[in-house]
Amino acid sequence: MSKTIFNNVALLPPDALFNIKQRMSQDSRKMKVDLGIGAYRDDSGKPWVLPSVREAEKLIQEDPDYNHEYLNITGLTSLTDPAAMVLLGQDSLALKEGRTVSVQSLSGTGALHMAASFYSTTCKDKLVYLSDPTWANHKSIFEGKGLKTATYPYWNAASKSLDLEGYLNAIKTAPQGSIFVLHACAHNPTGLDPNEEQWATILKAIVEKEHMVLFDSAYQGFASGNLNKDAFAVRLGLELLADVTPVIICQSFAKNVGMYGERAGCFHLVLPHQDEFVKMADVKAAIQSQLALITRSELSTPPAYGAKIVAQVLNKPELTKQWHADMVTMSSRIIKMRHLLRDALVSLKTPGNWDHIVDQTGMFSYTGLSAEMVQRLEKEHAVYMASSGRASIAGLNSGNVEHVAKAINEVVNYFGTSKL
Amino acid sequence: MLRRQLSSLSGRINSIPMAPPDKILGLTEQFNADKNDNKTNLTVGIYKDNWGQVTTMPSVARAQAMLDQSFEMNTDLSYLPIKGCPDFRENVLRFLYRESCPQGVELLNQERISFVQTLSGTGALAVASKFLSLFMSHTVWFPNPSWPNHANVFQINGFKNINHYTYYKDGQLDVDGWISDLEKAAKSTNDSFPPCIVLHACCHNPTGLDPTLEQWKRIMDKIHELKMIPIIDMAYQGLDTGDVYKDAYLLRLSLDESRYQWSNGLFLCQSFAKNMGLYGERVGSLSVVTSRGAEEKRSVDSQLKKIVRGMYSSPPGYGSRVANIVLSNPHLKNLWFQDVENIAKRLQSVKAKMAERLNWDSLQDPTRQHGMFLYTGLNASEVNTLREDSSIYLVQDGRLSLSGLNDSNIDYVCDALRKLEK
Repeated sequence: MSKTIFNNVALLPPDALFNIKQRMSQDSRKMKVDLGIGAYRDDSGKPWVLPSVREAEKLIQEDPDYNHEYLNITGLTSLTDPAAMVLLGQDSLALKEGRTVSVQSLSGTGALHMAASFYSTTCKDKLVYLSDPTWANHKSIFEGKGLKTATYPYWNAASKSLDLEGYLNAIKTAPQGSIFVLHACAHNPTGLDPNEEQWATILKAIVEKEHMVLFDSAYQGFASGNLNKDAFAVRLGLELLADVTPVIICQSFAKNVGMYGERAGCFHLVLPHQDEFVKMADVKAAIQSQLALITRSELSTPPAYGAKIVAQVLNKPELTKQWHADMVTMSSRIIKMRHLLRDALVSLKTPGNWDHIVDQTGMFSYTGLSAEMVQRLEKEHAVYMASSGRASIAGLNSGNVEHVAKAINEVVNYFGTSKL
Repeated sequence: MLRRQLSSLSGRINSIPMAPPDKILGLTEQFNADKNDNKTNLTVGIYKDNWGQVTTMPSVARAQAMLDQSFEMNTDLSYLPIKGCPDFRENVLRFLYRESCPQGVELLNQERISFVQTLSGTGALAVASKFLSLFMSHTVWFPNPSWPNHANVFQINGFKNINHYTYYKDGQLDVDGWISDLEKAAKSTNDSFPPCIVLHACCHNPTGLDPTLEQWKRIMDKIHELKMIPIIDMAYQGLDTGDVYKDAYLLRLSLDESRYQWSNGLFLCQSFAKNMGLYGERVGSLSVVTSRGAEEKRSVDSQLKKIVRGMYSSPPGYGSRVANIVLSNPHLKNLWFQDVENIAKRLQSVKAKMAERLNWDSLQDPTRQHGMFLYTGLNASEVNTLREDSSIYLVQDGRLSLSGLNDSNIDYVCDALRKLEK
């Protein structure tokens, strides 16, 4: 029993994106471009604090009653209530019928982790289906809680479009009642979302097999600038599954409020209609108590500051209005950059079709560039991105987009056209 | 559409049992609903001043003002790194391993301390227990009694065997019982994994009874001999004597390498919730003091990062920015020392005032119990009577939060307590 078990601890490879930052800081070239970051930057390449957030901070700083007391274990209801409304919509039947349980979480990751914990205590044998590809952390979050994961086809690399056939086939062949993790909008990393018609097809197939759905909603309002538009899939899913299975929604305010580091978010669970003899209130109370136990055992209470800021933004009509405008500011700049990059590549006559850059939404574009092209981009042109070819469009601005387009043009020509 | 049968999960979701409400925070919810004008909340460990207010410490308020007004400091709300803010790390490491525990300098130089910013003490315990259960141990020992959440944290993070060692007997600390429990368990086990033991660094929660330094030596000698993994839970640094450095005595003793070499490491879970009053902002840290050099530390670092990444990606920024300003600005730091001392003094004076009003053993020697709480020794039915008859809320185990008492309610509360004696 005196073994020195530390010896067995394996050294893990460093986070791929973290390394980008390190290499960039050692790069002495004048023009270098960071397309690895997962946070919004303004047109001068700087982090941007939303005006609505600035106003909310001011209100909190000037509030004589502000203190640092613990929040409730399940969080600030002045955050979780309006957050559910933002996500599910004013006319949500689930809200009207009182079928939701909402608790505060440590942004999106914390909500996903809570979902994984909850699944692992209630239905550990279910398979969790993730899109291929997906956000790298999804797999470790679910497997970290002892759940088994599988993948469903998503991205057709040849056509740079949705592999709907493969997707539907996976839904059909998955064991009845599996868990499907869906990106509510702005799929990470591809930036490619199903269109409304495709969503309906996908969700109906899920209903057929009585699968459970988890929506990861990290970009609502950030993708299109419109909260309702970006919640299309979530709301349709809730409608179609209202008699079928519970739906979990993991909601992050990192991107759309621009408070990445304050970890504000919510976990929502929406129950389907129940038979008459089931007391909805009892079921909800039991679920809430289990969620509270998870929070209590991992962080006691969720962090206050970010939650209070977002609560101000969601509850004060003039701030909410400003926030809506702020999301338009961010999303329209991103969309503009997508067009500038695509147009520049077209005018350089870069081999291949680049329309997918403007068709994709959200922070990222899955460019289709190969790992060796990405390597050459960095080595020869000081343009940094993930080796998967995922580029953060937020890192583009009017000062560097031309440089990036020329760099991509050079590497694509260097390696020939066969790979695109 | 035909009304579908609820799937197997729907069925299962209806059979989820109620988790028991949290023993401490649940009472606050009940308190908030209580209509009695004289209601008094003596449950949660939040410091209140003599006017019953939760105020921000002057040093912390200054730091906040600096943060709010400095455009420079407040322009980037990006993610912190997975391990937390680098400046915060430097300043907390210095505070803990140069100032609180000077022999830690050697450990820092040898790159033996793996460090992550955590969601206060609970977050540190959660990351530590997840790490330990993945690689090193599945047995843990807590004092009996202990903070009720300790067992939850270790259980949900993979510990199979939750044990309690004797700690408290008839109003006194029972060191002999403690040591003999550990010895007996060591003899009867054939587990090849070392067991962990959670130690309250000072101001034991809930009893307020701490071993003396001499007693700690006996205890730590035994823990070392039995090759247990020490986990030091330091939630109240400074609230015992009023001197943050003095209160780190257990850390200093444990890291005396002429005395102990912890072959499986030493874990320190540290919180600024109480001593900076940053409760709800969730500021603290986990450090793992590894037994050998930098290589081992790098492996531990990488695994801790993986755990954090899967739990919540990165810690919240605001509270750590405030704490960092307090720790890095010499003027504010001195002011903070003063603030902590004032709090400790007030806690002691509340105890003295209670002693004037109540003829209780636990109050006659004001040095016997330490910290924010008074362990009254009241049983559950007495605690219920207090709550039902007088709307005075104590934790079920009889723990009373001293700072909830002030000039305007101390007579009311002490009268009610006296009535119980009859």
